[in-house]
Amino acid sequence: MKCEWVHENIVLFVYNELADDARFELEQHLARCPECTAELKAVRKFHVALSSLPVEEPSPNLVAAARMRLQEALETAEQGGVWQRLTFDPWTWLRQMRFSPALAAVLLIVGFAGGIGATYSIFGNRGPVAVDTNSSAPSQASITGIRSVIQEPGSDKVTIKFDTTRTEDVEGSINDQRIQQLLLFAARNNYNSGVRMDSVDLLTQTPNDAHVREALIYALRYDSNPGVRLKALEGLSGYVKSDTRVRDAILEALMNDSNSGVRTQALQLLRPVTADSSVRNVLTQLSQNDKNQYIRSQARNMLAQLPEID
Amino acid sequence: MPADAWVLPIGGYSSSGVVNRRAQGSNTPDPLDRGDMAGYTTGRIDDTTLVREAQRGNRTAFEELVRYYDQPVLRLAMHLTGSQTDAQDVYQEAFLKAYKSIGNFRFECSFYTWIYRIVTNICLDHIRKRNVRKEDAPVATDQSGDEFDLLSQVPDGRATANPERDLMARELGSRINRALEKLTPRERMVFELKHYQGLKLRTVGEILHTTEETAKNTLFRATQKLRGALADMR
Repeated sequence: MKCEWVHENIVLFVYNELADDARFELEQHLARCPECTAELKAVRKFHVALSSLPVEEPSPNLVAAARMRLQEALETAEQGGVWQRLTFDPWTWLRQMRFSPALAAVLLIVGFAGGIGATYSIFGNRGPVAVDTNSSAPSQASITGIRSVIQEPGSDKVTIKFDTTRTEDVEGSINDQRIQQLLLFAARNNYNSGVRMDSVDLLTQTPNDAHVREALIYALRYDSNPGVRLKALEGLSGYVKSDTRVRDAILEALMNDSNSGVRTQALQLLRPVTADSSVRNVLTQLSQNDKNQYIRSQARNMLAQLPEID
Repeated sequence: MPADAWVLPIGGYSSSGVVNRRAQGSNTPDPLDRGDMAGYTTGRIDDTTLVREAQRGNRTAFEELVRYYDQPVLRLAMHLTGSQTDAQDVYQEAFLKAYKSIGNFRFECSFYTWIYRIVTNICLDHIRKRNVRKEDAPVATDQSGDEFDLLSQVPDGRATANPERDLMARELGSRINRALEKLTPRERMVFELKHYQGLKLRTVGEILHTTEETAKNTLFRATQKLRGALADMR
């Protein structure tokens, strides 16, 4: 063992702070090293000399005075614990949880219940706020688009207009007004030409209705499917004489329709009204200029059959 | 914390409520190897129970804790500051701070260590402020200021029958004080707690938020410096 190590640890030896094994080694060294023994003697002497600065015990009067002063201050002092109790301390909470498994279980149950309740209340409140109560329940239909969102000034009420798609079945007579309306709608708006065809076909059974005739004229003019247009022509055939609007629509089809079958059918429908000046003008034009040879010859024949007007 | 501490009677701290701390097997370490801490007797309510009560706002429980520890606190403060007035200020500040923040006490150390931590921090501040004042003073080398001469605070009644010996002791005490003041605040605190207050270095380390090994090294350095400053005393 080196003397240096002893010199470094001799202070701890004097203060009785050395571990037992180190103390034993140091004592063994001191027994055979006079230099280190002299150092120990010097340190002990110094240790005693430092005690010349006494450690005074506080007098009873001083203690009493200090306690009284503190007691007075404590009467007005606020414990920090007041705020700590009001503020959430996760560490304290966890410590209490450790000792209170029952409380933990209760908190979990309350948490779950609160969460479920909150979910219901949130979704329960959203319905009447977001949806016009006059309309049908939107949950049963998918929303295809929002038309408008209007908030009433000074309140939290909001009116939203939206479109929904919903599949419904309606049964009824062909003369039923509701069925008629649906057929008219289908004849004009449906993207499926087969559905339009069926609708127009059904509408031709009741062409007396003005709305139905309008729908048939519309189909003749604008429907992209020639079959639908032919069906419309068929439905309108009885009104070529009596309804000039029908006649004009058929003339228009005769002049401009892209389908020769439609034009031929239109031409046949106009036979009863060839005396009409507008029909005659059209026939004249067709007989001279039409690209379709059959149309030209048919127009010429029809014109030839007309009585001469001088 | 021992589980049976919860069932201890608290109200009034009557003799029926007095519990032997050691008999309970409290995990609170024995604070001192001096064994002379005021109130540290076998017949009193354990610190844990008193601290719990104080944390619930029971001021009487806190005052009971104060009575157990205030004399060692005063003794330390008097020796470090060299003034009864300053010691009283340290005492007041430390226990008020403890009262206000006892809710933060987590039983990670003994209450004794915790209160000593507060006291030593206040004393360290006191020493640092005093050092700054002395550095700022134009006559810093003048050591005649009685404020720091502890022996001047010793009551006259303690004077021995031998005035010459008494005078020598006073001079020696003044020299030691001057040597102690040359230590860093931390060295001074370790030396104070070990040499004059007689605490174990493990406890000193806990109080100063450091390891026992660091406390040992600091004590060694402090002793070397003091021996150098008081070389002719050896």
